[in-house]
Amino acid sequence: MISQLLKEATPSFAWRRNPGQWRTELVAGLIGAALVIPQGITFAYLAGMQPEYGLYCAIFVTLFASVLGTSSMMSGPNTAVAILIGTAVLPLAGRGSPVYVDFVFLLCMMVGLIQLLFWLLRAGRIFQYISPAAISGISAGAGFLIVMTALDSILGLSSFSTTFFYEKLYVIASDAMDLVSPYSLGIGLCTIAAGHLGRRYSPRYFLLIALCAGYVSGLLVAFIWPQPVTELEYLGRMPLQWLPLNVPTLNMEYLMISTTLIPYAVAIAFIGLAQSLVIVRELKMETDQDIDLDKEVYAQGVANFLAPFFSSFAGAGSFNRTKVNQRLGARTPLSGIAASGFVLVLITLLGPILTYMPMAAMAGTLFIVGVDMIKWLDIKHYAQVRSELIIYLATFVSIMFFGLATGVVAAVVLSVSVFMLRISQLELNLEEKPSGTVMRIKGALFFASISQLTEEFHRHVDENMTVDLQYTTHIDQSAVDFFSREAAQMAVRGKQLVLLVNARQRQLLNTMGLSGQVTLESLQDNIYNGVSNEKV
Amino acid sequence: MAKLNIFVVLLLLLQMSVAHAQQTQPTIEQLLQEPFLDDYYSNVVHGYEIITDSQKHASRYVGNALNCTNCHLQAGTQKDALPLNVAGMYPKWRAKNGKRNGIGLRIRECFLYSMDGIMPPEDAPEVLAIAAYISYLSQGQVMGVEPEGRGVPTLEDTGYDPNPANGRLVYMEQCASCHGEQGDGIGDVPPVWGLDSYNSGAGMNRIQEAAGFIWANMPLGNGRTLTQQQALDVSAYLNLHLRPADPGQSKFLKLVEDIFN
Repeated sequence: MISQLLKEATPSFAWRRNPGQWRTELVAGLIGAALVIPQGITFAYLAGMQPEYGLYCAIFVTLFASVLGTSSMMSGPNTAVAILIGTAVLPLAGRGSPVYVDFVFLLCMMVGLIQLLFWLLRAGRIFQYISPAAISGISAGAGFLIVMTALDSILGLSSFSTTFFYEKLYVIASDAMDLVSPYSLGIGLCTIAAGHLGRRYSPRYFLLIALCAGYVSGLLVAFIWPQPVTELEYLGRMPLQWLPLNVPTLNMEYLMISTTLIPYAVAIAFIGLAQSLVIVRELKMETDQDIDLDKEVYAQGVANFLAPFFSSFAGAGSFNRTKVNQRLGARTPLSGIAASGFVLVLITLLGPILTYMPMAAMAGTLFIVGVDMIKWLDIKHYAQVRSELIIYLATFVSIMFFGLATGVVAAVVLSVSVFMLRISQLELNLEEKPSGTVMRIKGALFFASISQLTEEFHRHVDENMTVDLQYTTHIDQSAVDFFSREAAQMAVRGKQLVLLVNARQRQLLNTMGLSGQVTLESLQDNIYNGVSNEKV
Repeated sequence: MAKLNIFVVLLLLLQMSVAHAQQTQPTIEQLLQEPFLDDYYSNVVHGYEIITDSQKHASRYVGNALNCTNCHLQAGTQKDALPLNVAGMYPKWRAKNGKRNGIGLRIRECFLYSMDGIMPPEDAPEVLAIAAYISYLSQGQVMGVEPEGRGVPTLEDTGYDPNPANGRLVYMEQCASCHGEQGDGIGDVPPVWGLDSYNSGAGMNRIQEAAGFIWANMPLGNGRTLTQQQALDVSAYLNLHLRPADPGQSKFLKLVEDIFN
């Protein structure tokens, strides 16, 4: 056990053995770096942090996750994680103040530790129980939140908080003349329009096109109107260091206060892992990469735990960057390692240019990303199955009204309960024979599915019962008790209960204390030979 | 007896609350040594750090080599050197931008003009921290009443125009040893002209304002040793030099206006 854990904990560097692939990986890394820079900056904004922290996240979280991981997944700043960080820490300190940053680092360390706990408990597989509809619903809800946040910057509103989104829309609509800044609205619209047009010509780089258009229109505005008039919000200079080492503040007061962060830490750890593992599982199905899911969980945990020591916040796998990476032919973690290096180089070169990047242009690209995350196709796709549609819509609506953390909880509870309902449903085949009723049970016989069986038994009270357990996957104590009880009642009326079992089930039922009033018959020598040999 | 007890408890409570209200606020040195501060005091400390080391703590929005404390001497606590205990004076109307200014807008304009940088958004952490520091310094001031030694002293009319040629002589004699003959500053001493100094939209670029500051505070530690005429002359000499343009003026817009008129 420990030796296996140690084996998972050491980076494998399997890509070393395939030098022919390196060139492709490096190119993919360069493109990934160009894509992650705007995302890092905007997601830092969502997390309420200064932009440089987002870039450090794009560098260091990507680096650690790729060095320790086994797949070509691109980790780094992630929308849902960033939003959750923002909502978790905002009540504790002013946005972006030093105490705020300290709490974010503390939160990210907790997230890393929880994810490492997931790894130690081999809990990665619980994410299989979350239905794809729930993941889509969370993603759509996060997209909605992004759009609402982006509106602030596009319209040039100073931050004001409202409880529900429609209040905000109402305030904006009713007081548009006073609130909305035409300059930032113009830049934002330019960005969105450029993104819309750019998507037609270059579906891969349209976000970069949108960003460049926003930057140029921002320059134009600054060229015509002076800043005291426009009051435009710019990105500003970023004090970037190549190795931003940082010791997270830990003392009694911080730890006492940070207990309120624990639920959020669990939610972030959960949603980060859920997204990463969905991506990794897709990669595993679609490509021939040698992927180890437990190792990916470990990589995410370590990356998030170490992030605060390098002045960055937590991240997770990114859907869009992994897709681009895959399309560019990347197949190993080397592309992620290369991307983190290229971010460092690009930022050093681009830093002075980025200073005058208007936040409205950033928010414009964020708006496009957010709208893309609400996929109408998804709704159509899930509309076919009612339970899936309910999970999707319930998740989306609860995120809209109660925030991302509540939405995640709703999604998990709903998908687990749908799963429960499914599994507790028995498939009963009844056949009337002259000697009584033959019932074939498909599914798991346990406390939750007994009630269905009870109804069926009561419908055939005055008949002999033969229950075929050939296709029954699981029998628990309550089922055994149920059979004993029914047999006793039937014996009173002079009827008989027969169970058709195989050798293993016979042994199991006897050890669980089945009453002697139930007759056990082996499948081979039962009187209804025709039944058990039938192909079902 | 029970009633009396309640009264005693109430009195005690009252006394405690009064004592709490009368408590003087902790000094910056005490705050700096605290392991943990609440939101307000952490912002105060952050604001103090920004004022004393703007290059490090507010580098996002600062465009030159100055720190706030270069003009707001002693981290904004020295009288007649633009002290920062002015929270009670805002919001007020200012002719500079022709609108009602809250303390936030005033701070943001400082970044734009004196620090020759980018105007931060209203809710930037730096602005909020400085606002917290200003209200911390303003503790005990009366709302709407000018604190003692606010701004810089207004110099009386000397009867002579400021003479930059004489100002040059005084500058070389008194100021150049610290501020450099090229006015580019030495070590921690700030540059007084050139592209690393305040821009021509800053208040210091007004001869009267700079002269008042120089007369009251310069040479550092020996304030009020120059004559008022000398201060005016030096101020005029500073303004002869190149410095970043006023961000409030867009030449391009003027050009467009001229074309269409």
